[in-house]
Amino acid sequence: MLTIKDLHAQVEGKQILKGLNLEIKPGEVHAIMGPNGSGKSTLSQVLAGNDAYEVTGGELTYKDKDLLEMSTEERAREGVFLAFQYPVEIPGVSNLQFMKTAINNIRLHRGLDEMNAAEFMKQAKTKIQQVNLDPSFLKRGVNEGFSGGEKKRNEIMQMLMLEPSLAILDETDSGLDIDALKIVADGVNALRSPDRAVVMVTHYQRLLDYIVPDYVHVLANGQIIKSGGKELALELEEKGYGWLGIADEETA
Amino acid sequence: MTTMNTIDFGIQASEDLDATLNEFSRSNLNSLQSSNVPTRKTEAWKYSAARLKLANSFPTLLASNQTSKWNEAYSLDCDTIVISNNLIQEHSLKSDQVTLKSFSELDESESRKLTEGAIAQSEKLEFAQLSAAYMQNGLYIQVQANAKIEKPLRVVFDHSGNGISLPRVFLDVGENASITLIEELRLQSEQPSDSLVSSVCDINVGANASVRYLRMNQDDGHSKHVGATGVSLHRDSRFESYCLALGSELARHDLLVKMLGTGAECDLNGVCITTDKQHFDNHTCIEHIAPHCTSNENYRCIADGKSKIVFNGRIHIHRDAQKTLGSMSNKNLLLSSEAEIDSKPELEIYADDVKCAHGTTIGQLDETELYYLKTRGICHEDAKLMLTLGFILEIVRATPVDAIAEYWEKRLSEILSYEL
Repeated sequence: MLTIKDLHAQVEGKQILKGLNLEIKPGEVHAIMGPNGSGKSTLSQVLAGNDAYEVTGGELTYKDKDLLEMSTEERAREGVFLAFQYPVEIPGVSNLQFMKTAINNIRLHRGLDEMNAAEFMKQAKTKIQQVNLDPSFLKRGVNEGFSGGEKKRNEIMQMLMLEPSLAILDETDSGLDIDALKIVADGVNALRSPDRAVVMVTHYQRLLDYIVPDYVHVLANGQIIKSGGKELALELEEKGYGWLGIADEETA
Repeated sequence: MTTMNTIDFGIQASEDLDATLNEFSRSNLNSLQSSNVPTRKTEAWKYSAARLKLANSFPTLLASNQTSKWNEAYSLDCDTIVISNNLIQEHSLKSDQVTLKSFSELDESESRKLTEGAIAQSEKLEFAQLSAAYMQNGLYIQVQANAKIEKPLRVVFDHSGNGISLPRVFLDVGENASITLIEELRLQSEQPSDSLVSSVCDINVGANASVRYLRMNQDDGHSKHVGATGVSLHRDSRFESYCLALGSELARHDLLVKMLGTGAECDLNGVCITTDKQHFDNHTCIEHIAPHCTSNENYRCIADGKSKIVFNGRIHIHRDAQKTLGSMSNKNLLLSSEAEIDSKPELEIYADDVKCAHGTTIGQLDETELYYLKTRGICHEDAKLMLTLGFILEIVRATPVDAIAEYWEKRLSEILSYEL
C-alpha cells in the first residue's frame, strides 16, 4: 500500500529524514519507535502532506500513485488519515459540521452520494460513544476545551467515521492514562482489516501491548536502522535505545 | 474648515414639536455654526472622513411611494413600526404596557427626558447634532415599570430616494421592565452623493430593567448612513447589544453607553463584514461613571476586497467608578491584501481599583487550522469558508432572536461563499 524509498525531508532548513525506507502492505500493522528528535513526527507530517516540511529526495508511493503529487486533501480523500499528536482547537467550527463536511467531501470523491443528515447523526452518536466521549461534544467547537486525552479520543472517533485505508497514529498514546489507552486501542483494533494498514508512531512500548504490531521499526537520525517483529519492541523496552547505540534524550 | 451650517441639507425641523423640543432643536441648530464638517484631521473621523464627500446642498426627500425591497427578508413574530423617509407610518399596535407616541404628542416631562438622552446630551457627534437641529417627528416608546415584554419590538428606518433622512427613536424602559428592541435600516440610495441617513436611538434603562438591542442594516452597499445609539443605564440595569453590520459606501455607528448606577452591566457584541470597496466605522464608548459596574465588548470584523473597517473602542472609567470590571475584545480577519482594518482601543482610567482588559488581533486565517481541515479531506475553499464563517458565527449564533440569527447566518454564508 505504501512504499517509501530513500526519503529525505527537511523542516526550517534542518535535514531530518536522511534516507528512510519502508514498505507497508494492506492488512499490516507497523510500529515505528525511536528517541526524540529521530524524525517520527516529520515522517507523519510528510505523509499527510504538510507544506512546512520539504521533501528533498526519494519516492513515496501510495496505492501505486505518487503521493508527493497529491495535495493534503487529495491524500485524505484517497484514504490517508493522520491522528495528530497535538490536535488543534477550532472554536468557531463545530465537531458535527467538521465531520459532516469531511465525510461528504470524501464520499463525493469516491462517487457516492452525500450521507443524509439522519444517517450521519446516527453514525456520529454511535462512534462518539465508542470512544467514550459525551455526545454533547458534537456541538462544541472542534477540540474546544478538550483535555489532551479527549483530543486524542476525538482523533480516533474521526478515524472511525472516515474509515481510512492508511491510518497513521502520531504518538497517539502520549499522555494517556490506561483507560484512555484501552479506548484508543479498541478503536484502532476495530478498524483492522485485510485492506487497511496502520502505522503507529510511538515513543513507548506500552501501546503495543494493546495494538499488537506485525512489524516494529526503529527510527534514529532520520533513518530506519532496525526492523523486526513485535519482540523487538519488548527488547527495546528492556534494554533502552542505548542498546542499539542510539542516544536518547530521555532515560526511562 | 467648513462648518456644518454651510451645507443646505434640504430639510426643516418639524413644526409640531413643543416648546422644550423646539428649544433643544434651536440650540443644536446654533451649534452647527461651530461644528466642523469632519475631515481627515478630525480624530474621530480620521479613517472615514474621506468617504463622507458631503455635497453643498441636498434635495428635499420626498415621501416614499415604494415598498422596500428588503421587506420580509426574514419572518419574525414581532411588532413593527416603520419610519419611512422621515414619516412614521400607520400602525395598529396597542398594548397596555408599551406606549407609542410621536414627538408631537409628548408632554413636557417626556420631552425633557428625550433631551436628556445619552446621544442628545453628547456634544461630540456632529451628525446626531444634525438630527437634533432639524428634528423630525420621531418615535417615543415607553415601557411601563415591571412589564416583561416577550414579543420583540422592531423599528424600521426606511430610506429611499435622494435627500436626508433623520429617523429618531427614544425608548424609555421603566424599572424592572424588559424588552427586546430591533433597529433595522433599510436603505435604497440612487445617488449616494445626494443621500444621507443620520439615525439616533436613545435608550433610557430604569433601575433593574433590561434591554436587548439588535441593530442591522439592509442595503445595496451604496448608501451613506451615520447612526448613533445612546444608552443610559441606571442602578442594576442591563443592556445587551448585537450589531450585525454590512459595509456600504459610508457606514458609521457610534454606540455610547453611560453606566450611571451601581451594579449596571452592559454586553456589547458586534459583527461587521465589508467587501468590494465598502466601508464601516464602529465607534463604541463606555462611560463607567458609577462604581461596581461591568462591561464586556466583543466585536469581530472581516474585511475583503479593497474594503475598510474601523473599530475604535473607548472605555472611560471615571474617578469614582471603583471596582469596575471591563473587558474589550476586537478580533479582525483580513481576507485580502488590499483590505484594511484599523483597530484602536482607548482606555482612560481614573479610578485605581478596577480591572480592565482589552485585546485586539488582526490576522489572516490560521494555517494550522486550515491544514487540519484539509487532512480530513476538506478542500481548500471549503476550509477557508468554514474558518471564516466560524470566526463570526459564535456571535451571530448568540444573537437572542433566533429568526434573525438564522437569517444572518444564511446571508453571511452567501456573502462569504461568493467572496471565497
